[in-house]
Amino acid sequence: MDIKFDRIASVLFLAIGVLFIIGSRNLASSSYGSSVGPDIFPFILGALLVLLSIRLFYETVMTRNHQGEKEKLQYKPFLIIFVATLIYILTLETVGYVITTFIFLLVCFQTMERTKWVKSIIISACFSGLVYFLYVQVLKGTLPGWPIWF
Amino acid sequence: MDTLDYLFQGFGTALIWYNIAFAFVGVLIGTAVGVLPGIGPMSGVALLIPVTASITSGLPPEQAATSAIILLAGVYYGAMYGGSTTSILLNTPGESSSVVTTLDGYQMAKKGRAGSALSIAAIGSFVAGIVTLVALIALAKPLSAVALKFGPAEYFSLMLLGLGAVSGLAGKSVTKALIMTICGLLLGTIGIDSVSGIARFTFDVPWLYQGIEFLTIAVGLFALGEVFKTILEKEDDDVHIAKINNLLPSKNELKESAGPIARGSVLGFFVGILPGAGATLASFFSYILEKKISKNPSKFGTGSIAGVAAPESANNAASGGAMIPLLTLGIPGSGTTAILMGALMMYNVQPGPLLFEDHPQVAWGLIASMFIGNLMLLILNLPLVKVFAKIIQTPKQFLIPIIIAISIFGVYAVQVSTYDLLLLLGCGIFGYFLSKNDYPIAPLVLGLVLGPMVENNLRRALTISNGDFSVFLTRPISLAFLLITLLWLLIPFLLKRRGKEVIINVEG
Repeated sequence: MDIKFDRIASVLFLAIGVLFIIGSRNLASSSYGSSVGPDIFPFILGALLVLLSIRLFYETVMTRNHQGEKEKLQYKPFLIIFVATLIYILTLETVGYVITTFIFLLVCFQTMERTKWVKSIIISACFSGLVYFLYVQVLKGTLPGWPIWF
Repeated sequence: MDTLDYLFQGFGTALIWYNIAFAFVGVLIGTAVGVLPGIGPMSGVALLIPVTASITSGLPPEQAATSAIILLAGVYYGAMYGGSTTSILLNTPGESSSVVTTLDGYQMAKKGRAGSALSIAAIGSFVAGIVTLVALIALAKPLSAVALKFGPAEYFSLMLLGLGAVSGLAGKSVTKALIMTICGLLLGTIGIDSVSGIARFTFDVPWLYQGIEFLTIAVGLFALGEVFKTILEKEDDDVHIAKINNLLPSKNELKESAGPIARGSVLGFFVGILPGAGATLASFFSYILEKKISKNPSKFGTGSIAGVAAPESANNAASGGAMIPLLTLGIPGSGTTAILMGALMMYNVQPGPLLFEDHPQVAWGLIASMFIGNLMLLILNLPLVKVFAKIIQTPKQFLIPIIIAISIFGVYAVQVSTYDLLLLLGCGIFGYFLSKNDYPIAPLVLGLVLGPMVENNLRRALTISNGDFSVFLTRPISLAFLLITLLWLLIPFLLKRRGKEVIINVEG
C-alpha cells in the first residue's frame, strides 16, 4: 500500500467533498410544493465525503510507512498504447472506424510483442472489417465508417 | 395465475430460437471469461452490455430487454463454471471465487485426477444452479409481496443497508470502500434532477445534462483498468496445463461428493442472498464447513474431492442467490448484479417488486433461461473442457488490444459521443490506480446505479414527513434496516481492532 497515494487521495477527496457542498449551496433549496429540494442529497453526501477523507488522512498518519518492494512497471508499452488509444478516440469521427481501428490494433499488437507481423495485420483487418460490416450492414447501426472527406 | 403458469410462460419466452441462441452465446462467453485470468465476470458483463444493446436493437423494447438480460446473466453464471477450469489445471484461479478450488483441485490434477475434479466441479455447479433456481422461484413471489408494502422510508433504509453491506465487505479498508460508495452516489447526482428539473453540477456543459452514463464508468473502471494493469505489470507466464485423462468421475467419487455439493448449494445460496457477501465468501465458507465436519480433515489440501465439490457448488449457488435481492427488491448485492441492474435500467425495465407484475416476460423468461443455460453449461463443460483449457493460451498480444477496441466500439455504439470515449479512457487510468491502492471499485458502480433511487426515496420520505429526518427512525422496519447497516459496518471494524482477520469479498 502506498501511503503517499492515500494521503494525496484523501486531500483530493476532501476537496471534492467541499466543492460538492459549495455547489449544492448554490442550488435552489426547495422545489415546488416541497420543502425538500435538489440540494439536500448532494449536501449530505459532500459532508460525508469530507468526514471520510479526514478519517482516511488520519489512518495514513497512524500507519507506519512500511515500504513494499517496488515492482517494475512497463511504462513504455503502456504510454504507447495510451497515446494510441487517445489518438484513436480523437480521430474516430473524422477518419472513420475502419481505418482507425485497423491502425490502432496493429500498433497495439506490435507494442505488446514485436512478432508475428502477418498475423497481426490479418487480425486487425478482420476485426475492423467484421465489426463494421456486422454493425452497419447487418444491424443497421450508425458508425462513422470512412473518412468524412471520402 | 400462479407461479407455475408464469414459469411455463417463461419457458415459452426462453425457448424462442433467438433466446436460446442468446443464452448459449452468454454461457459460452461466460465460460471463456471465467477461464481467462484478468477478465472477471464484472468486466465481462460490462463489456458485453453495449454489444448486446446493439444486437438486440431490432427487437421490441421488452423482448430486447429479455434477450439482453438472458445473455448477460449467462455470462455471469457461466463465469462461475469457467473459473474452476484454470484453478484445477493451472493453480491460477480465473476469477476470485475459484481461489479456494485451487487448494484441492490442483492437487488432484497433480495426481492425475484432473478429469474427475473438472467433472465434479461442473456437476456440482449444475446441481447448485438448479437448487438456487427452485429457491428463487419459490421466494420470488412472497418476497416481492413483502417489498410492495415498503414505503419510501423503508426503501431508503434498505438501500443504505445494501450500500453499507457492500462497502463493509468490499476491501481492506472500510473507509476507502465508503469513500468510493459516496463518490458513486455523488457522480449519480450530476445532470438534470428528475424531481425539480434543475441542472446540477453541469457547469453548463450540454454533454453533462443527461448525467454520467453508468456504462462508460463501468467499462472504463473494470475492463480498461484491468487491461492497463496487465500491460503495466507484465508477467512472463509459463503455462503448464495438467493433462486431462478420464473425464468421468468414479462411483466412489460421486458418492463422496454428493454431501459436499448439497451443503455447498444451500450454504452458497444463503450467502448469495446477503448483500455484500458474494461468490467468493460463499466458496470460502463452504470449504471451511466441509473441513470442519469431515472425518479426516487432514485430507483437505492434498487433493480431496470434497474440497473441489463444495466451493464450486457454493459459488454457483451464490451467483443464483444474488439474483434474488436484485429481482425482487431491486437492490443489487454485488458489483456484478449492480451492472446487471444498470443493464436492465438501460432498457427501461426497473428491477424490484413490480418487475414480476409489470414485466413478467423479462423476469420469468430470465429464470427459465437460467435452467436452460445451466443445462447447456453442463453439456458444454463436460466434453469441451479441453477446448476451454486451450483458451488460456490465447496470447495477450492479441487479447489486450482487442479488449480495448471492444470497449471503445461498445461505448461509442451506445453513446455516440467522443466525450464519453475520453471519459472511458480517463476511467481506465483511475480504475488502475484505485484498485492498485485498495480502493474497491464495485461500491462506486453500485452507488452510481443506486444513487438516483436512493435520492428519490429520501426526498419522497422527507416530503411526506415535512422534512423531519426522524421518520427513518420511527418506522420499525426502516429502523431495523438502519441498525443492521450500522452493525454491518461496525462489526468488521471492531473485529479488526481486536486483531482478528476479516474475510473480505473480492470481485473481479
